[in-house]
Amino acid sequence: MLSPERLALPDYDYLAQRHVLTYMEDAVCQLLENKEDISQHGIARFFTEYFNSVCQGTHILFREFSFIQATPHNRASFLRAFWRCFRTVGKNGDLLTMKEYHCLLQLLCPDFPLELTQKAARIVLMDDAMDCLMSFSDFLFAFQIQFYYSEFLESVAAIYQDLLSGKNPNTVIVPTSSSGQHRQRPAVGEASMPEGVEASLFYQCLENLCDRHKYSCPPPALIKEVLSNVQRLTFYGFLMALSKHHGINQALGALPDKADLMHDPAMDEELERLLAQIPGLVNSVTASAEASCLPSRTPHRVGFSWRSLHHARKVDAESDGSTEETDESET
Amino acid sequence: MAAIPVPLPSVKMAAVEKRRSVVVTAANFTDGTRPSVSRAAATTESEEDFLRQVGVTDMLRAALLKVLEARPEEPISFLAHYFENMGLRSPANGGAGEPPGQLLLQQQRLGRALWHLRLAHYSQRTAFNNNVGVAYECLSASGRKKPGLDGRTYSELLKRICRDGEAPEEVVAPLLRKIQCRDHEAIPLGVFRTGMLTCFVLLEFVARAGALYRLLEDPALATADRCMGQAVLDTLEGALQASDSAAAPARYLEAGWRLGPDSLAQAMDRALVARRPSSPMTREEFLEKAAALFIAKVKPVG
Repeated sequence: MLSPERLALPDYDYLAQRHVLTYMEDAVCQLLENKEDISQHGIARFFTEYFNSVCQGTHILFREFSFIQATPHNRASFLRAFWRCFRTVGKNGDLLTMKEYHCLLQLLCPDFPLELTQKAARIVLMDDAMDCLMSFSDFLFAFQIQFYYSEFLESVAAIYQDLLSGKNPNTVIVPTSSSGQHRQRPAVGEASMPEGVEASLFYQCLENLCDRHKYSCPPPALIKEVLSNVQRLTFYGFLMALSKHHGINQALGALPDKADLMHDPAMDEELERLLAQIPGLVNSVTASAEASCLPSRTPHRVGFSWRSLHHARKVDAESDGSTEETDESET
Repeated sequence: MAAIPVPLPSVKMAAVEKRRSVVVTAANFTDGTRPSVSRAAATTESEEDFLRQVGVTDMLRAALLKVLEARPEEPISFLAHYFENMGLRSPANGGAGEPPGQLLLQQQRLGRALWHLRLAHYSQRTAFNNNVGVAYECLSASGRKKPGLDGRTYSELLKRICRDGEAPEEVVAPLLRKIQCRDHEAIPLGVFRTGMLTCFVLLEFVARAGALYRLLEDPALATADRCMGQAVLDTLEGALQASDSAAAPARYLEAGWRLGPDSLAQAMDRALVARRPSSPMTREEFLEKAAALFIAKVKPVG
C-alpha cells in the first residue's frame, strides 16, 4: 500500500521522480493557450480535466513530440494511443511500409521525427531492405522498444560499436546522437570473423550501463535472459529479441501481449456503435479520443497522405467542440 | 472517455472556428481572446501577471504544497482529485445564486472536512495532523451563534468515514458506539483527532483482515474453515494482548513476532491437525471478530 522510499526522498527528488513539475508546467502552458476555456469553466475545472487526461493517457494526443517523449508515462501513453487508434490496420492484416507507418504516427503527433520511425523499421527489417512491408504487430513492438528506450538504445549502440572494434568495453561511454554510426558493419573482408559480438561480454557491459543509466532501461534480468540464449549476436538481432520478448513488453506495461493485440471487445463494441452512427451525423458523440482519430473507413494504403491527416484533424476539432456538453455528465 | 482538453495550437484554429459555429446561440460566448495574437505582442511578464491575477499562481502553489505534504504514490491523480474538489467548492459552480439552506451548508462542510482528512494517509502523522486541524476548523466555523464543533456533527462525520470506507456496518458499529459523543457536547480538537485517527486505523485494519480472510477462503464455497479462521483470530488476539504488559518498543516487537509467518503457520498447522467438522466461517463473521479484537483496545471517549 505504501512505498516508504518516496517519503524519505527530498522534496525536489520526489517531484522530479514523478515528473510532477513537468505536468504542472505543461498545465500552465496549456492554460495560457486556452484562456477562453477558463473564462467559461473556471481554472479548477481546467486543471481537473488536464490532470485527469494525464491519468488516462489521453493528454498526449496531437501534442508536440518534445512533450510526448518528455516522461515515461507520456511515452507509454503514446504507444497505447497508437495501438488503440490503428489496431484495425493489424486486424485487417494490412502490411504497410515504413513511410506509411510514419504517416500514422504523424496523425497523432504532427512533428514526429522520421528518424525514429526509420530506426524502428530497421529493427523489424534487421537493417535491410528498408522499403519492405511490415505487419502492424511487428512494427508496433519494435517501435515500442525504440521509442520507449530511445536513450538506452543509443548507449547500447555505442557499446556495441566499441565491442565490435575491439575496444575496452569498460571505458566510459559517451552516448552520441549520430544515428548512422551503428550502421557501419564490420568490414566484409574479414570473413573469418563471425558476425556480431559475444553475448556474455555484451551483457556485462549492458548490466553496467543499466546501473548508471538515468533513463528507463529494460529490466536487467530480462536482458540477461535474452542474451543467455545465444553465443554471439548482432545489434539488430539483440533489438529484435528485445522487441519480441513478452516479459519486457509486460514490464513496460503499455501494450497487451501479442496474442491479445487485436482482442479488445470493449473497444470493438464502441467502434461498432460509433460506426453505426457515422452516416449523416458528424456531431455525434465522438468524444472518445480513439474514435475521433480513426477515419470512418480503414485507411487505404494508396491514398493515405496529408490529405487524410487533415481530415482526421478536422474530425478531432469537431469532437473537441462537441464534448463540452458531454463533459458535465462525466465529471 | 475523456475529452481532449488541450488541442494543439495548429488544431486549435479549427477548434475555435468550430466552437464559434457551435456556440453562436450562446449569448455569453466571449470571443476575441485568441491567445496566439495577444501573446505575440505580450511578454513573459504579462503572462506571469495574468496567472497571478486570475489566481493560478496561488492555486498551484497551494496544490504543490499539498502534494509535498501528502507525498501521494500517484501525485497526478491526487492533483486531479484536488482540483476537482476545488471546482466543486468554488462558487462559480453549482447553485451559487441563492444562499444554500442550513442543511446543504452542513453537508458541504462535512464534504470539505472529509476531503481534507483524506488528503494524507494517517501514517504520515504531520500531514495528517495538519489536515485534521483544517477539517476541525472547517466544521467549527459554522457561522452560527457559537463557534465550535458539536457532537452531532462529529458523529455524522464518523459515520460518513466508515460508510465510505466500505467496511460492513455491523463491524464498525461497536467502534462508533465507543467513540461517539452526545449530540450537544462540544468536541475539543484532541478528541476529534483521536476519533478520526481511530476510525481510519480501524478501516485499514478491517481492509487487511478482509485480505487475510480471502487467503483462508475456499473460492468455491466463499467461506472459510472455522478452525482455520479461529486459529488466525486467536493468534491475532494473542499478539494484541501481548501489547498490554510490556513497554512500548518491546511489545511491538513481541506482537510482530507473534504475527510473523512462522507463528501463524504453526497455529494454523495445529488447527489443521485438530480439525473437527464444523460449520464454515463467513467473511462477515471473521471481520466482525477481528474488528472486535481491535475495538476492545480502544478507550471509550469521555
